[in-house]
Amino acid sequence: MARCIGTLVFDRRTALLEVLPIFLDALSFVLILMLVASGLVIVFGMMGIINLAHGELFLLGAYTVVVAQGFGAPFWLAAALAPLVVGMVGLAIEILLVRFVVHRPLDTILATWGLSIAIKQIVVLAFGPGSHSVVVPIDGAITVGAFTYPAYRIVLMIVATAVIAGAGYVLVHTRMGLLARAVIARPDTSASLGINTGRVTQVSFAVGAALAGLSGALVAPLISVDPQMGLGFLVPAFLAILVGGAGSMSGLVAGGGLVGSMDSLLSGWVSPVLAQITVFVLAILVIRLRPGGLFPSRGRGHE
Amino acid sequence: MTPKCAPCISATAPMLEVNDLHAGYGQMPVLRGVNLAIKKGTVLALMGRNGMGKTTLCNACNGLLATTAGSVRVDGEDVTGIPAFKIARRGVATVPQGRDVFEDFTVDENLGLGGPVPGAVYDWLPTLSFLRNRIAGTLSGGEQQMVAIGRALARKPKVLLLDEPSEGLQPSVIHEMSAVLRRVVDDIGLTILLVEQNLKLVQSLAGSVAFLADGVIAEQVPAKVLAAALNDIDGPVHRHLSI
Repeated sequence: MARCIGTLVFDRRTALLEVLPIFLDALSFVLILMLVASGLVIVFGMMGIINLAHGELFLLGAYTVVVAQGFGAPFWLAAALAPLVVGMVGLAIEILLVRFVVHRPLDTILATWGLSIAIKQIVVLAFGPGSHSVVVPIDGAITVGAFTYPAYRIVLMIVATAVIAGAGYVLVHTRMGLLARAVIARPDTSASLGINTGRVTQVSFAVGAALAGLSGALVAPLISVDPQMGLGFLVPAFLAILVGGAGSMSGLVAGGGLVGSMDSLLSGWVSPVLAQITVFVLAILVIRLRPGGLFPSRGRGHE
Repeated sequence: MTPKCAPCISATAPMLEVNDLHAGYGQMPVLRGVNLAIKKGTVLALMGRNGMGKTTLCNACNGLLATTAGSVRVDGEDVTGIPAFKIARRGVATVPQGRDVFEDFTVDENLGLGGPVPGAVYDWLPTLSFLRNRIAGTLSGGEQQMVAIGRALARKPKVLLLDEPSEGLQPSVIHEMSAVLRRVVDDIGLTILLVEQNLKLVQSLAGSVAFLADGVIAEQVPAKVLAAALNDIDGPVHRHLSI
């Protein structure tokens, strides 16, 4: 009897030790996806701008870390620099390109698609087509009994959670967020209330770009940094926004959680191909049955 | 008929002055030389059939629609062609047709979008004091209209453009709204351009009525003649509104 109980306890512990890393991997992927998609919540979800260069802003964040580390900067300084650099790039994109096409969705798609190609080619010219690696800032693993997990992934999850919560707080509880939501929902009414809508739009777009840059920088130590890395995150991020509902942080959490966990868990347990198919089928079903997503926003969204 | 222009009637310099204003959408002209002048502390009602350009005139005055010729002056300052948010900061507030409150925001958030909310707004609209934390989208149409008016008044405007404020509201709410606006006009000398189809509201609030037809002010009459004009088949109400 004692032996049976001992075996049962052992089996449960073994199973837990096997399953826990898979769940943590899924959780870290979900949080990374939410982090990447948080910029899209503002740019696509709330402003209604289909920015196909968003993945390249993510890419630029990662390359900012590569360059900064090349100059000897520590990772965390480089990661702090990335949203500033990419935010400025986003501001330039809004001023020089997006504002001229924003009211014509097809033109916006074409213009930002062209921009994404241009950014990728500039990166290839500057850094070559090959991949670069970023030194993991926190080496080693966190060990609890027999369980070990990479320390940086844990830190990344904490930082990602803080950034997402911070972005949500700013959008909902600050005057800056209130003005951004007002301008995005009703630009004409906002202007007639004396709000400088052009300035608010610029800042909102730049913040969305900065979030993409920050996520690229934070993810860089976990992946190979190359000119094609943006697309791999852009597609699931768009799907997360569509599934969750454009324009709200609750939609981001729901969509990112659903898409990210399905993708990650099915990839680990069954196959990456089946995971991709399932995620796309899920997205199609949600768009068909609930066009506004699981948590639709009353704002302008991506109408 | 020769349009009668308000400057001929006004004794003092107008707070809102529109001179030979032209505006439209793309290649389609809507306003073809509008002339209007409204003295400080008075209400001018703008009436006309659908599609005559009443909302277009409001949007040309507040900068939301680009003008093609003519000028708009506010308190003597030419504001033609400057961005809408700058015109708003120069004292022009708008209550748009359909109210356009921010449904996801609380009443307080709606009121405070343009800046700090003066206490006078809650004095004029005491109902809003009890609704401050309510989500605007959950309010009745009348309450939303009060929010839209309060939001405009919170900017301490010199000129208020009111576009069809009675639309979809029950008579008691229209009466209450009229009383509020009359009090604000008396308290701070607000100047109002009232785009309206509701004759009762026009009669209770406006000092004069301008009729917009074919992109110009076809006629301007004192509001007090409206009652008599209703029975006059050749009068301005029948001519311009087809009542």
